[in-house]
Amino acid sequence: MNFYVRRVAFYIVTLWAAISLNFFLPRMLPGDPAAIMLGKLRRANGGRPLSEETVQTITSILGAEKGMSLWDQYLAYWGRLLNGDLGVSSTRYPAPVGDLIASALPWTVILVGTATVISFGLGLFIGAWVGWKRGTALDHLVPATTLLQSIPYFWLALVLVAVFSVQLGLLPIVGGYDVFEFPAGPEWSWAFFVSAVQHAILPATTIVLSSIGGWLLGMRNMMVSTMSEDYVVTAEAKGLTAGRIRTRYAARNAAIPSLAGFGIALGFVVAGSIVMEQVFSYPGIGKLMIQAVQGLDYALMQGVFLVITLTVLAANFIMDLLYGLIDPRVRHNG
Amino acid sequence: MRKATAVIAAGAVALSLALAGCSPSSQASSGGDAVLRVWAGSATPINHNFNPFAVDTAVHATFGAIYEPLFFFNQLSSDAPVGMIGDSYEFNEDGTVLTVKIKPDLKWNDGEALTADDVVFTFGYGSNKSDKLVSAEASDETTVVLSYTEPQFTSASLTLGSTWIIPQHIWESIDDYVAETNTEPVGSGPYMVKDFSDAAYTVEANPEFRDGEVAVKEVQYVGLDSNQSAQDLLTTGKIDWVGQFIANPDSVTASGDIVTMNNQQDPTTIITCSNADLGCTGPQTDPAVRQAINLVIDRASIAEKAFAGLPAESNPAFVLLPRDEQWLGDPANGESPQSPDVTAAQAILEEAGYTQDAEGFYGKDGTTIELDLFSPDGWTDYNDTAKLISESAADAGIRINARTVSDAEYWTPIGNGDFQMALYGLTQSLVPDPYSNYDQYFFGKSTAKVGESPIAGQNYSRYSNAEVDAAIAAAAGTQDEATKKAAYATIQEHIASDLPYIPVVLNASQAFFNVTKFSGWPSESDLYANPLPYLSVASAVVLANLEPVE
Repeated sequence: MNFYVRRVAFYIVTLWAAISLNFFLPRMLPGDPAAIMLGKLRRANGGRPLSEETVQTITSILGAEKGMSLWDQYLAYWGRLLNGDLGVSSTRYPAPVGDLIASALPWTVILVGTATVISFGLGLFIGAWVGWKRGTALDHLVPATTLLQSIPYFWLALVLVAVFSVQLGLLPIVGGYDVFEFPAGPEWSWAFFVSAVQHAILPATTIVLSSIGGWLLGMRNMMVSTMSEDYVVTAEAKGLTAGRIRTRYAARNAAIPSLAGFGIALGFVVAGSIVMEQVFSYPGIGKLMIQAVQGLDYALMQGVFLVITLTVLAANFIMDLLYGLIDPRVRHNG
Repeated sequence: MRKATAVIAAGAVALSLALAGCSPSSQASSGGDAVLRVWAGSATPINHNFNPFAVDTAVHATFGAIYEPLFFFNQLSSDAPVGMIGDSYEFNEDGTVLTVKIKPDLKWNDGEALTADDVVFTFGYGSNKSDKLVSAEASDETTVVLSYTEPQFTSASLTLGSTWIIPQHIWESIDDYVAETNTEPVGSGPYMVKDFSDAAYTVEANPEFRDGEVAVKEVQYVGLDSNQSAQDLLTTGKIDWVGQFIANPDSVTASGDIVTMNNQQDPTTIITCSNADLGCTGPQTDPAVRQAINLVIDRASIAEKAFAGLPAESNPAFVLLPRDEQWLGDPANGESPQSPDVTAAQAILEEAGYTQDAEGFYGKDGTTIELDLFSPDGWTDYNDTAKLISESAADAGIRINARTVSDAEYWTPIGNGDFQMALYGLTQSLVPDPYSNYDQYFFGKSTAKVGESPIAGQNYSRYSNAEVDAAIAAAAGTQDEATKKAAYATIQEHIASDLPYIPVVLNASQAFFNVTKFSGWPSESDLYANPLPYLSVASAVVLANLEPVE
């Protein structure tokens, strides 16, 4: 029990530190967001003078409240947070940050989440197989998948788009669904679901292709070291079938370290695959992050980072607890 | 590796085909109800905002397609402006009273009448208010009289060409026009909103439009996050109209379906913080240094290497040639040197008392000139230009350090004057008259001292010259061509030698459009509007002129 209490306390402190950091980081960036937005407005206005009230409104909403001490801003930040108010985006004024994140989150979670699970599952499965057959031609899979991982992602994605979408016309080029078919946006229908699945194939494939290498390599190496363990030799001596030894004895134990990494990877799903969302104009959350950073949109930046922080911590926490169940050694001397 | 990819891809394709089998087959639309699909540059998610006062965050269709100004000023020609809501306008003798006649029997898209009262209301609402406007009155249903404290000859394009006329019956009950999103806009333009989503929005023909319903019944604006996606959609016939940079336009236009048009208007310059009196610091405050830099820039190779050979030549008089030919004083100011002249540049520096140090770099009183030149990271054309300028300057013995900054770090220093030099784009005047260029960028009243941002105007170089100011004021108060030309000649003389903005190239703006699905696009022989989907009024004029090809 002591183990669980320690873990929970650790996570509470981490959470507080992360949320505080989330408050201070944007304020340490160079530039003044209000000046940027006013400058943009002025240019777009053809140099027409901006009314005093416009200037007032903009300076009051842009994170850096005038005439407030940092401590007061910090308290106000916590107060808003506990009320579930993430503020108003300045780059997309007057859209509330909460709404922006809420509409982007499902796309990212479903697509990147599914791709991560597929990549992990495939990596483990193939890795186990390659480890089992070590020393055969199958070993070439390791450098091949690692190469895919080291190719710049956007290049890989652009090539696949050029071949499968532009040349062959088999898969859609952009978007989360067919915007020409569904001009009014997402709807609950079979046709829409089909369209969304079709649009997810290529982005998911690129994510799987570029991330499978790591899982495969880790699993293969663990598999090789597990197979030299005494209990595997014992199992062989008992005359168990090769398939049973491979899955029940070797692969199960070899997968333990990968599971820890998988927990972290799942947490980062929410960060979206930033480059993927750019290349495919996929309506996810990674893009919000880019736009927020580029436009110094403090409120949006904080909102996105907060969601990412919370999910990474939550994923880690759950994995920690599960790990205690999977591997009893952790509970006793962890 | 290749095999694995092929297997996965084949599986994916099979799955997609199987799914396509289950989905209802979409009827290919025939010519009559073809939807025109546009990418005007919106990224996803698109802001659900049709507020004409939200110039930065409202969607493109707000301006021109839904809300209209009184007149359309075609940037590409020297013809008189075309009436939209407005029918005719005239100034009194001294330019302080502007009388606008609007067309009779106009309607808003909700069926209410559009009268002179709406126009009067517009000029007294929100950010349209001006302290120079004494009164706005409707003398009858179709006549508006605007009285000002000073001559307004030169602000006609702003007042008549980019003030969006709004319906009084809607906006009189809207107090906070800044935070309004106006998701069901009531406008007078050719289109009205039909559907909206984060990824795309559709506008449909407005049955109340004054010239009758337009031929293209629906226009869909899509949101995309990369130029490459837009290019792919264009070549596969999924979208019909974009305004974007494509380095090798021939690859897109080869099939004959897509036609491109490239109009160069906006000057790309090196903006310098030029005025030591207003707090600028650094070697670039010395005109001799700016003149030397102007002479060492290799403009021909910049146009070729950094801008893919698309731009036109810039000029230090800041007139758009041949459009503004009549306003050019000394013809010598009508072009910038296209290749570097190191000898002349060094002569200027030596004349001003600069000497070369051991490494061959120029300096004064023992300190070597070291200039900072920045551009936004990712604007590759600007970044490459900065590198090329830095190299040419080094050859002549002037040290310029090119660096890139984030978008946020780019606008802030330019706004408050805390910089030495940056690559910066100016906006060309809308009308065949360079006045707005001078007034916006060179006028002493359009600037502020370092540490503050200009209240009106965009004179971020902090340039201030009494003779130029007097000439600008003189040009503003007259409609007499000879007087104006003389004033412009004075301005050009000064700004071409003072060089607060060092001209580099005239930036290209490429438009691509599908001519097999729609006809009626502008062409070199008929430049009735600039075919750029993001150019507010011009894009609406193009839309209203298009017809689906049967």
